[in-house]
Amino acid sequence: MTFADIRESAYMAFDTVRSNKLRSSLTILGVSVGVITIVFMVSIIQGLNKAFAAQIESLGSNTIWATKFDPSIGHQPTSEEIHRKELTIEDADAIRREAPSIVGVSPFYRKINETARYGDKQSDTPILIGVTSYHEFTTSSYVARGRYVTDLDVEQRTNVAVLGQDLVKALYGTEDPIGKELKIAGRVFSVVGVMEPLGSILGQSRDNTIYIPITTFEKYYPDIEFPEIISAIIVRPVSRAYVKSAIDEMTDILRRQRRVPQGAPNNFGISSQDALLDVYNQLTGATYLVLTAISCVALMIGGIGVMNIMLVSVTERTKEIGLRKAVGATRTNILSQFLIEAVVLTAIGGLLGLLVGELFSVLMNKYSPLPAYVPAWAIGVGIGISAGVGIIFGLWPAWKAARMDPIESLRWE
Amino acid sequence: MTEATIATSQTSAGVVAKPNLVSADGKVQVLIAMQNIWKTYDMGAEKVHALHGVSFEVKRGEYLAITGPSGSGKSTLMNLIGCLDTPSQGDYWLNGKNVSEMDDDELARIRNQEVGFVFQTFNLLARATALHNVELPLIYGGIPSAKRHEMAKQALTEVDLVDRMMHRPNELSGGQRQRVAIARALVNHPSILLADEPTGALDTATSYDIMNLFEKLYEDGNTIILVTHERDIAARARRIISIRDGLIEKDEQIK
Repeated sequence: MTFADIRESAYMAFDTVRSNKLRSSLTILGVSVGVITIVFMVSIIQGLNKAFAAQIESLGSNTIWATKFDPSIGHQPTSEEIHRKELTIEDADAIRREAPSIVGVSPFYRKINETARYGDKQSDTPILIGVTSYHEFTTSSYVARGRYVTDLDVEQRTNVAVLGQDLVKALYGTEDPIGKELKIAGRVFSVVGVMEPLGSILGQSRDNTIYIPITTFEKYYPDIEFPEIISAIIVRPVSRAYVKSAIDEMTDILRRQRRVPQGAPNNFGISSQDALLDVYNQLTGATYLVLTAISCVALMIGGIGVMNIMLVSVTERTKEIGLRKAVGATRTNILSQFLIEAVVLTAIGGLLGLLVGELFSVLMNKYSPLPAYVPAWAIGVGIGISAGVGIIFGLWPAWKAARMDPIESLRWE
Repeated sequence: MTEATIATSQTSAGVVAKPNLVSADGKVQVLIAMQNIWKTYDMGAEKVHALHGVSFEVKRGEYLAITGPSGSGKSTLMNLIGCLDTPSQGDYWLNGKNVSEMDDDELARIRNQEVGFVFQTFNLLARATALHNVELPLIYGGIPSAKRHEMAKQALTEVDLVDRMMHRPNELSGGQRQRVAIARALVNHPSILLADEPTGALDTATSYDIMNLFEKLYEDGNTIILVTHERDIAARARRIISIRDGLIEKDEQIK
């Protein structure tokens, strides 16, 4: 195929489009819809993936959570699960002593929507976390100024607090909070440190947090009221490679600590970010499959449209094909000309589809909470697929044209 | 056609009894040599012999008319001469090459290089300019675009239509359309100009003009074959071959 061939084919394609404006537009529309579907769906899934992955990353290294029941997505805890015995500081100590695959263990309590007050400013949304000194390292979220909760604080149940950035801004403004007083649910605490900015995860700010000693938390909140208050142990394995063995070790230790009989199921749950990612990937994997099927159907319909208009084009051009053959066009010339004509049609549709899909995802990003993102490969795939549709559905009409007998087709009226 | 390629085709085609086509200076003088050509169509139950044993030669620079009533085998013969079809039996030498055994793509190349077609209904691309129409054989001949424009303009000059080259067929008269078609046939400098009822769709005055154009092209040295059933059109040629019932009835030099 020469460049002249391609130019002649492109010329024929635009000729077809010009002479059958409505029919061509509908054909192009059909392909566009298929490509729009693909681009739009990919952009949403990719956007979600990207946002999710970034948030998982922001959690720091691969931490493992142990709770009294498995907190997996879409699972409502049963009352048996809710009434299980809490995980304790002693459980955490046992893990710290005995599990070789871990470098940090932190038991903690978490209460949502506690009130915090300084002077006349109040916030009703902070998350209150009762921690040990290990929490800082285990969760890779560090204090920026002042100090963190110490072992001494835990031992003496002191009323000290370390504040997240959001609360510093909301309650203290430009004032330096360190050394100042903070009222948590009316109880007086002294601010000893300020956390570095931590960003947010799944739309929830991690900077809207108050850290107090775990024992102080137990003192003021003796009853664990699910779901407002939860207790958990967070564990940091040596590295990503140790996640599996850390989980195994923790399971053994917790079964012994909680006196689970041989053969009985665990009365606690352990999850890791990897597990979280697995669940997430399962969800998006299924979505991908469904969307791929939908896009395939959409493209099929577009492709049938292409085949239809190409058959019309071939029939209408019978005499022209005869003439072209008479002046020296080979089968290959005719075949490639009609194939290129089909590809030009679908490529126009593909490009339009990409543009509209891209536009959709930009609007989506701007005006909806769902993140959307069109990766560079999707553009390539979109164009590739639409051209592929052109080739697949254009092949038969083109072959029909290529095999025409020049004498017969010259005589055709 | 260069002398080098003639030499090649001579050595490669030595199997069949090859007629002496070449003059002393090495140039192919007998452009067309038909040797006992048969064309049989298989119509299911019976076989129809459109041509049975036709032989003749056409020399370079001849002006030949092929006439005959409809059903005589005239069109079949024209399709064979134009390399749109191959004979069932016999050999056809065109410009030193035996085309009777060629496949579709080889025939396409031969048509592109050796034959310039002129049709009764012009067969121009309706939405293309005169220039583009004339360029068409060059596109399939793989001629680069600058050269193509130049050659197409040259051909349009020969038919006196270069000032209309950007017009589309519907902006041209019947005679002008046929002249565009003749320019298209000439543009590749083919061995033969093969015209099938070239005046069949034209009025008398315009027919006269077109026949004068053929006369001029003949005087310029082109080899022209007219296929027509009109006696007075055939009478413009220098030699007439009359076909009847698949055989040559008469082959006469008239001027």
